[in-house]
Amino acid sequence: MASRKKVLLKVIILGDSGVGKTSLMNQYVNKKFSNQYKATIGADFLTKEVMVDDRLVTMQIWDTAGQERFQSLGVAFYRGADCCVLVFDVTVPNTFKQLDRNKIDLENRAVTAKRAQGWCQSKGDIPYFETSAKEAINVEQAFQTVAKNALAQETEVELYNEFPDQIKITNDSGKPKEGCGC
Amino acid sequence: MKMPTQQLSPQEEQEKLLEEAVNIVKNQSFQMKRCLDKGKLMDGLKHASTMLGELRTSMLTPKNYYELYMAISDELRHLELYLVDEFQKGRKVADLYELVQYAGNIVPRLYLLITVGVVYIKSNELSRKDILKDLVEMCRGVQHPLRGLFLRNYLLQCTKNVLPDVEEESAGKDNETGTVMDSIDFILLNFSEMNKLWVRMQHQGHSRDKVKREQERRELRILVGTNLVRLSQLECIDMDKYKKVVLPGVLEQAVSCRDPIAQEYLMECIIQVFPDDFHLQTLNSFLRACAELHESVNVKNIIISLIDRLAQFAQNEEGTGIPPEIQLFDIFSQQIAQVIQNRPDMPPEDIVSLQVALINLALKCYPDKVEYVDKVLETTEEIFNRLNLDHLEHGSPVSKELIRLMKIPVDTYNNILTVLQLQHFGPMFEYFDYQSRKIMSCYIINNALENETLIPSQEQVDSILGIVSVLVQDQSDQPEEADDPEDFAEEQGIMGRFIHLLEAEDLNQQYLILNTARKHFGNGGDKRIKFTLPPIVFSAYRLSTKYREIQEEDENWEKKCQKIFSFCHQTIGALIKAEMAEIPLRLYLQGAMAAGQVAFENHETVAYEFMSQAFSLYEDEISDSKAQLAAISLIIGTLEQMSCFGEEDHEPLRTQCALAASKLLKKPDQCRGVSTCSHLFWSGESAASEGEMKDGKRVTDCLKKGVKIANQCMDSSVQVQLFVELLNHYIYYYEKGCDQVTVQVLNQLITKIKETLPSLEANEETEQINKHFQNTCDHLRLKKDNPESEGVSYESLSV
Repeated sequence: MASRKKVLLKVIILGDSGVGKTSLMNQYVNKKFSNQYKATIGADFLTKEVMVDDRLVTMQIWDTAGQERFQSLGVAFYRGADCCVLVFDVTVPNTFKQLDRNKIDLENRAVTAKRAQGWCQSKGDIPYFETSAKEAINVEQAFQTVAKNALAQETEVELYNEFPDQIKITNDSGKPKEGCGC
Repeated sequence: MKMPTQQLSPQEEQEKLLEEAVNIVKNQSFQMKRCLDKGKLMDGLKHASTMLGELRTSMLTPKNYYELYMAISDELRHLELYLVDEFQKGRKVADLYELVQYAGNIVPRLYLLITVGVVYIKSNELSRKDILKDLVEMCRGVQHPLRGLFLRNYLLQCTKNVLPDVEEESAGKDNETGTVMDSIDFILLNFSEMNKLWVRMQHQGHSRDKVKREQERRELRILVGTNLVRLSQLECIDMDKYKKVVLPGVLEQAVSCRDPIAQEYLMECIIQVFPDDFHLQTLNSFLRACAELHESVNVKNIIISLIDRLAQFAQNEEGTGIPPEIQLFDIFSQQIAQVIQNRPDMPPEDIVSLQVALINLALKCYPDKVEYVDKVLETTEEIFNRLNLDHLEHGSPVSKELIRLMKIPVDTYNNILTVLQLQHFGPMFEYFDYQSRKIMSCYIINNALENETLIPSQEQVDSILGIVSVLVQDQSDQPEEADDPEDFAEEQGIMGRFIHLLEAEDLNQQYLILNTARKHFGNGGDKRIKFTLPPIVFSAYRLSTKYREIQEEDENWEKKCQKIFSFCHQTIGALIKAEMAEIPLRLYLQGAMAAGQVAFENHETVAYEFMSQAFSLYEDEISDSKAQLAAISLIIGTLEQMSCFGEEDHEPLRTQCALAASKLLKKPDQCRGVSTCSHLFWSGESAASEGEMKDGKRVTDCLKKGVKIANQCMDSSVQVQLFVELLNHYIYYYEKGCDQVTVQVLNQLITKIKETLPSLEANEETEQINKHFQNTCDHLRLKKDNPESEGVSYESLSV
């Protein structure tokens, strides 16, 4: 029955302010990139239809505000998410630290892929991608993995979708280097 | 009245309400989806309507209502997908759009209408313009603020992808699909309706709930702000449309609503959601609107936020920077002046905060323009004058802000000389009280020390020392109670280090610098000059050495050196007047050595004068016996190092040393002083001796006298100690080849020590003496067992 039904996946993009969550989503959905910075307020989504293993999947991608003051109503948009994409900026170590506040201090240097990958492995082997929203590098691959993993779990545990998988993506606001891990 | 114990707290009450509502949503959405799966659209819509009925509640707080709203809108997405599917299969949409309008209650009805309307647009673009207009008008039917805000938020969310975003010119002839102008109208209308609902909340309900109500309003603000986000996402809004239509529309609503919470948020929102280049082209209208905001709006934060954003933009590597035709600094300073003028009640600390933002802007966008920074300081000074502010109390908000302001150029330039170019920097110090002046002064001096900034001219030295005068001399407003001595010493120590940064390349200039510094620090009073004059004297000695190095280039170098030494003589004199002795004595000795080495005309006279001054201080001012021994040892050591004196000067000096040493009060001191003196007759040099004196007779006279005095000591422990020391002196001369010292003398001393040592009481001191003696014997044994062909013989030594 599940294979007949249209599949709707809810994906949430999270991460610190200015890491490029909106850019990443815009590149994926609209194939567009802009250097201009516009803050996101609250939470907002775009939808995109993709084929995963011959199935048509509608991805509802939620872009969220990185700045806490723009989330004054709380984080109810987490509800029912099938997958989370965690984004940080590889040129700004702090944005990586924000992902997991319990981590030891990472000192003041850029985040190496090795470090991020290690982190992803420690969190149950979540996939990691380095991407560039500006150059459209690895964006498609990252979201394709998101869709695939979310769909796999959708079919597995249809009833318990309150516990979403995580996908992590780093974005370096332009330069061809972003990381995404799952 | 007795309260039942199981009464729920407000929070528990909320949780319960939310849970109940969410359960109904789960239930109804399940049924809805089942009906849709079976193709029963009408039944599906009924369940959807029942589910939406939950949004009619007035019981939930904004956050919980949001939870419920999210749960429901997630479910409506399934309905939407189904409808899109149906219409693609050929179902008539128009019917449905009519049909859902019969839903019993207005809230479910409008949610369904929006859902269907958007699907309608997706299936038939020609209807888009009319339907959008229809929907945004229909939403007026819900006037309850909370419900209305969420309903219109749903409208914004659903229409996101269907808003027309094409230029007017490229639209069709009859223009039914709409253009970006229609989208702007649609959003601006929705925005003003939402803002009105939001503002109205403020005036509903009991006044005792004001705090809670305002909190809830702040939570709901993002719903209103989403309209602005939507506007910023429309690609066809170019600079021209933003300038002429969008921004005026938004600002008009923001200014005219007269609601402080709305105004503060909306202005901040405009700054954050629209791109930098739009802001750059509309600065005047934005800032003018700021000046018109309600008086209780914290306009400072808004302007600072805009400045911070633009300053960051200017520094962005990839950005194009601030276009040269936009006089960013001028615009901001004028508009800020206007804001300050419009708000006579603005607290002075807020005024200064604005200047802080302005100075940051100047430094980040125009790093080379020192005059901009100076202009900000000048403006600040004018404002303080107008407000009659001075002696700002340390720790007060305005004083803190002013300190922040003043530290920015110091930190940014990291060069005190650049800071000195700011004409209005120094004068701002007069507005601080004593404490703050001190903090700022230390901050500046420390910055110079950390960056090792050399101060190369007399004028600059004059300015800096004028600015930090709180560290240089007493102040009319200083507290009666003296500073903590440790803090005082630390602060003056910093000044001492700072003096070494006063350094010009040109030596004549350097001399003028030292004179200037001397004048400033000379006024420092007895407590300060102890820290500040010695470094000046040392710096002057160093200068004389440099003159000697360039003597070929400057025919007057000798006269200049004489001047330097009389400058030092007089400066040391100032320290003596302040009742100091030990420091001046050392400075005289250092000066005597310096004069001896520089060897300018008359240097011998100068060196002799310095030595004799040191003797006078020794004789007249130093009374503590330990200090006396230390002083005479230094004098002897200095004289031993010097070679500039002729016999007529050297003879009285060395005789004086011997005499002074033998007149020390305590016997052990006498013994040590006299034996130290022996070296003057050996390695000391006078012009007559042509090299070291090597007067073995006088050497042994001194040492014999030492032995005699040691014999007079009552304390046998001290006595043995002195003998061991004397033995070492003798060994030294023996090895240097002094004929008057023989192995027999050494043997005698060794025997004497060996006799007395065992009778000493066993303690730590004895242990030390014993060790010293053993080491000495080890040395002798080594020499005896390994005779060197050139060296003296230890053959007859008995160890």
